[in-house]
Amino acid sequence: MNDMRLLERDVDAKDIKIAARKVQVYYADTHAIKDVDVDIEDKTVTAFIGPSGCGKSTFLRCLNRMNDTIDICRVEGDIRIDGEDIYDAKVDPVQLRAKVGMVFQKPNPFPKSIYDNIAYGPRIHGLARSKADLDDIVEKSLRRGAIWDEVKDRLHAPGTGLSGGQQQRLCIARAVATEPEVLLMDEPCSALDPIATSQVEELIDELRQEFSVVIVTHSMQQAARVSQKTAFFHLGNLVEYGETGQIFTTPQDPRTESYITGRIG
Amino acid sequence: MSDQHIHSAYDRDLEAIQAMIMKMGGQVEAAIRDSVTALESRDEELARKVRAGDRSIDELEYLINEEVARIIALRAPTAVDLRLVLSILKICGNLERCGDFAKNIAKRSTIIMASPRVEGASATIRRMARQTELMLKDALDAYIQRDTDLATAVIERDLDVDQLYNTMFRELLTHMMEDPRHITPCMHLHFIAKNIERIGDRVTNIAEQTIYMVTGEMPEEMREKADTTATEQV
Repeated sequence: MNDMRLLERDVDAKDIKIAARKVQVYYADTHAIKDVDVDIEDKTVTAFIGPSGCGKSTFLRCLNRMNDTIDICRVEGDIRIDGEDIYDAKVDPVQLRAKVGMVFQKPNPFPKSIYDNIAYGPRIHGLARSKADLDDIVEKSLRRGAIWDEVKDRLHAPGTGLSGGQQQRLCIARAVATEPEVLLMDEPCSALDPIATSQVEELIDELRQEFSVVIVTHSMQQAARVSQKTAFFHLGNLVEYGETGQIFTTPQDPRTESYITGRIG
Repeated sequence: MSDQHIHSAYDRDLEAIQAMIMKMGGQVEAAIRDSVTALESRDEELARKVRAGDRSIDELEYLINEEVARIIALRAPTAVDLRLVLSILKICGNLERCGDFAKNIAKRSTIIMASPRVEGASATIRRMARQTELMLKDALDAYIQRDTDLATAVIERDLDVDQLYNTMFRELLTHMMEDPRHITPCMHLHFIAKNIERIGDRVTNIAEQTIYMVTGEMPEEMREKADTTATEQV
């Protein structure tokens, strides 16, 4: 069938951006992620859904080694981005996080100006050769964050003075400023009102042209709206992973079905 | 999987539309039965009742459509719930058409009552109607019990209805050739037979919806069209 809707879904085989194999995560004695295998596609929005404590955020944080910062946390298995083992001893986690950006649940702008919020990453990673260069990066990033028009006249005002939705888009702009290849989002809209949520979702859809986006969300409707692929986690297992339309119409696993239809699992 | 939603009101909504579809199905079954009984026993009053009763079927269709729209808007059903709601909508449309066919049978039977009896015709019509009415009953039972085997059997049984229709078609041709005075009642009887044959097709659609709701897939077109009157020279 070549109807428009199917073309738009664009779920043809894409390049694999992130390949995870037999990933295990332990918090001290707790086995939080159990044997997860997943291939995350490039230029695709992948949603991780599942009940609280199912391991979806933990797994997300493995993808840019954010779990390294937690002492009791141990990650085993193999995670490769473009074929490169990100847990290899030679990999600098700071460089990795420039390549794999992250946006958090609560907007967390630096207590600096809007301009400096964006310029910080490119500066420390040496991405700008001149002031003009940096100005360009800031403008481009704010445009990609769909917030340029709202802040262009007050770039030197503090980032913390923006509304919640604007702050979150500022944080997204900040995350894209270092030219990442993957963008991880952990509940990026849970602190936003529906209008700001729609703006961020629209932005995610635009970012998909350039990056691989992985989003953790508790809102199943959000997963359905923004993602092309959905992964359902339950008790540390990746229960089901597939095309979003399929997951929401004909899930294969009864646990997925119970969860997405709001039944007691 | 547990059957119950965390929101119990959601379960009540879904149960309510299923109850409405069963009520509608019961009315359609009765309409088919009564329309043919009216024809056979030349009961003008019963035929009038069937015609009047179609309004109630139409009203139920309207109510079910409204309720389905409300559930989609408010509950955003997914997976099995989504398939349930979609199947209700389709079954509802098919039942409404069956009701219209029954009403048309009742209308025509009123005209036939004024004409001489055509020997043998009403027995075949009765068998066809009985068969489709049972198919409808089983299709609705299969739906409510989520029984795909029964639904598949219903689909296969439509073949018998098609064959009865073919027989009827030939019989009526013979009657018309024998005596031109039979042409008017035979034309109406033919439309009645065709209506019942169409009801069989609609019931098949209903049975297919059961399979879709349970499995998420529409059944393959497994039966050949057995109504050969449109393709064969008789």
